[in-house]
Parts: sequence; C-alpha cells; structure tokens
Amino acid sequence: MNIETAPHSSRSHAIETHQLGFRWPKQTIPLQFPDIRLNRGEHLFLRGPSGTGKSTLLSLLAGMMLPESGSVNLLGTQLRHLKGGARDQFRADHMGVIFQQFNLVPYLSALANVTLPCRLSTRRHQQTQNTPDAAATALLSKLSIPEVLWHKPVTEMSIGQQQRVAAARALIGSPEIILADEPTSALDAENRDRFIELLLTLAHEHHSSVVFVSHDRSLAHHFHHQLSLGDES
Amino acid sequence: MNSFRLTLSLATASLWYRRRVLALVCLTLTLSVTLLLGIQYLRTEVRQSFTSTISGTDLIVGARSGQLNLLLYTVFHIGDATNNIRWSSFNDIKDDPRVDWAVPISLGDSYQGYRVVSTNDQFLEQFQYGDDQKLALARGQWFSQLFDVTLGADVARQLQHELGDQIVLSHGGGRTSFSNHTDLPFRVSGILETTGTPVDQAVYISLEAMEAMHVGWESGVAIPGRTLSAQTAEARSFTPDAITAMLLGLKNPIMTFQLQRELSQYAAEPLSAILPGVALSELWRMMGQFEQALLGISVFVVATSLIGLVAVLLTIQAQRQREVAILRAVGASPRLVAGLYSLECVLLALASCGLSLLLGASAISALSPWLLQHYGIHIGARSLNADEWLLLGLVPVVAFAISLIPAWHHWRKSRKQSFGSSAQD
Repeated sequence: MNIETAPHSSRSHAIETHQLGFRWPKQTIPLQFPDIRLNRGEHLFLRGPSGTGKSTLLSLLAGMMLPESGSVNLLGTQLRHLKGGARDQFRADHMGVIFQQFNLVPYLSALANVTLPCRLSTRRHQQTQNTPDAAATALLSKLSIPEVLWHKPVTEMSIGQQQRVAAARALIGSPEIILADEPTSALDAENRDRFIELLLTLAHEHHSSVVFVSHDRSLAHHFHHQLSLGDES
Repeated sequence: MNSFRLTLSLATASLWYRRRVLALVCLTLTLSVTLLLGIQYLRTEVRQSFTSTISGTDLIVGARSGQLNLLLYTVFHIGDATNNIRWSSFNDIKDDPRVDWAVPISLGDSYQGYRVVSTNDQFLEQFQYGDDQKLALARGQWFSQLFDVTLGADVARQLQHELGDQIVLSHGGGRTSFSNHTDLPFRVSGILETTGTPVDQAVYISLEAMEAMHVGWESGVAIPGRTLSAQTAEARSFTPDAITAMLLGLKNPIMTFQLQRELSQYAAEPLSAILPGVALSELWRMMGQFEQALLGISVFVVATSLIGLVAVLLTIQAQRQREVAILRAVGASPRLVAGLYSLECVLLALASCGLSLLLGASAISALSPWLLQHYGIHIGARSLNADEWLLLGLVPVVAFAISLIPAWHHWRKSRKQSFGSSAQD
C-alpha cells in the first residue's frame, strides 16, 4: 500500500531510467537522456557541458519534475506512480542533495541545516538512531568543520565549509541516493579532491549511491561509472 | 503536527533573521493596532462615563422644551433653559404622593466659565451617578451659610481654590463676564470628590443666595442703591420665585410614565418631564455617528498596514528563491513552503498585537493621571471586554487571510521548482 515507505528489495537498483525525455515549455526538440542503471552503493559520474540538461536530469531524478516520456525507477519505486506530495516525501526519505552553491538555509545554524532532513523525514530521523544532533555533530567533525561554527549562522562560513555542511546534510540519516550538482565548482583544486574523497568515503560508510554531476572530466576517476550527456552523437 | 512544528520553528528563525526589515513593518502594524484598540477602548470608556452621568433620577422636569435641550442644560451644563418653573409648581410637584424626593436647580450665573448651580442640600443627598454612587465631599462642608459655595472637583483643581477662599460670581454665563457680583463675595465651604461627570465642572450655592445676589438686578444689570450688602442680605430671608428645573425621584418607578404624562399636561404652566436614561441614549445615538466614523478610519489604518506587510513580504520573496530551492530539494512540500509564509505573517501580526497591548496599557497608565489633572477625564486601566478582544483577535485572522496571497504565489511557484538554486534552469 505505502509504496514510498515499503521496504525495498535490495536487489532493485538505486536508479534505473528508461528513455527519459523532457521538454521545457518553449522547447521544440525534447531533451533525450541516456539510460541510467546504477546499483546500490555505487557511484556515478555524470559529465556534460552546460546546456546539455544536467540540471533537468537531476530534477527528473529527484522527482521534482516528471518526464515527458520514459520512466524513472528509484529503489524499485516508479516515480510516476507517486503523487506530488508523495514524491516530496520520497525525496526527503531517500535522497540527499548538494547544490553548486547556496546550499544552506541562511537563518539556520550549521547544525540545524544538517538535521533539516531528519525533521522532514521520520525515516531519516530513525536512521540516526533517533539522535539527529549526535549524528550531525559526528558528520561535521568528520568533514572537519570547526566546532565553534556549529551553532553559528552559516553566513559566517567560507564556501568550502558551506559545501561540506551541505554534504553532511545530504549524508545524514543514510539516504540511499545522493544527488550532487557540481558541488565542487566553487572550490579550488586541492579542496575539490579532498571534498570528493570525503564525500565518497562517507557515502560508502552510509551505503549511499552518489550521482555526481560535473563538467570537469578530471574528476571521473573517483567513480565506479561515468556517463556523458550531450556528446554521444 | 510535526510538520507544523517544523514550519513554526523555521518561521520564527526566518523572522528573527530578517528582524531589521521586519521591525519597521511590525512597528507600523503595532501603531495602527494600538490606534484601533485605543479608539475602541476610549469609545467604551466614554460611553460608560457618558451613560453614568446621572443615575437614580427618575424624571427631570423643566419648562416646555425638547428632551435633549432639557438634558443638556440640567445635566451637562450646555445651553440655556427656555423658561423657568414657578416655585409654587415645584412645591406642588414635590408634595405629590408618588414623589419620593425633589431637587430644585436654578441656573444662570457662572464663575470663571463654570456654571453656578443653585440648589439645596437635597442635591448632595439625592444626586447619583455611575452605579448609584452618591456625591461626597473631599474637604469641608456642603454650603450652610447664605454666602457659602461648594466647588466641583475640577473647579477647585483648575483654579487652585482651597477652603475659605473668597470668590466672586459673575452674572450670566461665559468665562469673561462684565457684570460681576463683586459686592457679594462667597466663601468656599467645601470641595466635592471627583466624579468624572459634569458635577465636577460646576459650583454650588443655595437657592437663597441666588435670590439675594439678584436683588436689584431685575433689569439685567445692577442698579446702584437697590442691591443688597452682605449684612442686610443675611438679615433677610429669601424665597425663590422660580427655578430652572428639578430632579425627581419616585417612590415606585412604575409610576414614572404616568407622572411624566401628567406633568406634560400640567395645568398651571407648560412643563416637560423627561426620563434621563432615554434622553441620554438618544444623545449618545447622535454622538455615536462620530465615534463610528473614527473606528471606521482606524480599521482602514490597520488594513493599510496589513497591506504594507504583505507588500514587504512579497518583496522579500524575491530574495528567498534560494532558500525555497533548498527546502524543496530536501523534501519540503509546496504546502510547507506556503505555510511558512502564512505563519510568518500571522506571527508578525501576533507580535504586533502583543506589543500594542503593552503600548496601550503603558500609555493609559502614563497618561491617566495627566488626563485627570488637566482635563478631568477619568480613563482607568481595565481588562479588555469581549468586543475589544474580538477586534484584537481579528487582526491575526485578517493577517492570515491576506497572507494567503504571497503563500499561494509561493505554492504555485515552488510546485514548478526544479533542482538547483534557481527556479528556472
């Protein structure tokens, strides 16, 4: 009955898409996306120059938009079978997100930003052994955010720190899928590699699959799989 | 419920984060709500003190005139009588078996702009105001000697009179009179307690003193040689020919209408008898128009500031794109985002209501002694009545209703929210 909260068979893929197509209101030719099949716990690098619809694909995977054609199957659940509210709840329960920048709610402290998914999802709350604050502080220490900043407004942090807080928010409550939209584009080379390593290590600990979008080919070697958008033909 | 708690905590954090901008909006709203509440409060207070100007009196009798005119000059000291009542009529009515008590009142003179009411000791005993409260003396005695005067509380306060002061009454009304009763000064024998009614704004002398003062004034001015000196006046006894009006208390109030009808058809001279309560409410109906308009205006002021609030929230909305994108991406529903907006608006309105209660209460407690001292208006702090709570409660309700505009806007927009920082890719 409850599709989104039913235990998902571990054999189902984390992400499985089939002939996805999407058209923005004023577009004549729809965007077509290659099929994705990602096992649980594995990471995918999605590469593509801008304008190839990376963000559109992420919106479809996150269930924030529905495709014009094709299907998205996450953890054995067909997204199109869920209503708007159920898709939002599915996202809260099973997905962590990291944006390019401006990841954090400006009026919440770093800690409150990290625990936000646990307040929107009972499942994520339970996955932290019902101690979201402890889980959040553990993640923040692992991501080497100085303790003095935990209760400070996030606007006082550097961009690198903000991105790491966002990573902690994506990881908390061990969601099965983490969607990251060029999270390192605002970081320098050294920070970038450190960020990706930390993210993937922690994702491994939490059994999460990471879908990482970037135009930077040099990052691909960190991931199990890679897929290019736009330049196939 | 859980989602409500989340929305509430987000809304409070968000309001606090934007406190500098919102403080001004909140201030505007607070001031306008204070105005609205203040006007409603004063309305109630004024009405209360207005309708409690006189009580316990069953009929007011004067020369034939309209009931408002009779009420105004006997109770409020506004305007003049059309004619007098003969002293014989007063005695006749006083001796009617249905009449319990009768207080004669004679008007016409003034003291520094305050009315001189000449009456007898029945006035002190029978006149009642408010919840059947009787008059009492703050200091001294009710007049007993011929040239004694008892002052209303405001008169004593304004002119800083003490017991034993000598004062000179003027002939006719008005603050500056050219004909004064200089040769017959009065001595202040007593000062009444504050009542918050027109009683405070008058001075009281005996009917005999009124007669004595006017010997030799039959033509309207003093004719030299015909007026009395204090010594000769005290040696004589005076009986008034006429009075201006009388207050009647009946043994059985059921007889009021019967007696009123009889007095209106009084054979000896044309009289009018009015029921003070009926006349007061008619007078209030006339003045009520004005305060209704005032209340209407203040409602518009509140509406304006609520619209201003929404305008500010809509402006802030543009800066909140990113925040909405984040909330949506971590799984918040469009409903939660819209709810955040409505709740912020309601919380602001509630804060304004709370602040305006504080502001109103401190304004009343700060201004109340000053008002009493300078204007003789008694505005006490009291808890709000049902109407006022209703009015106050309507503010957050209306705030919620108009917050639906930005909330709906947000709801629609965030439904179309795509993944990422901007609404559109």
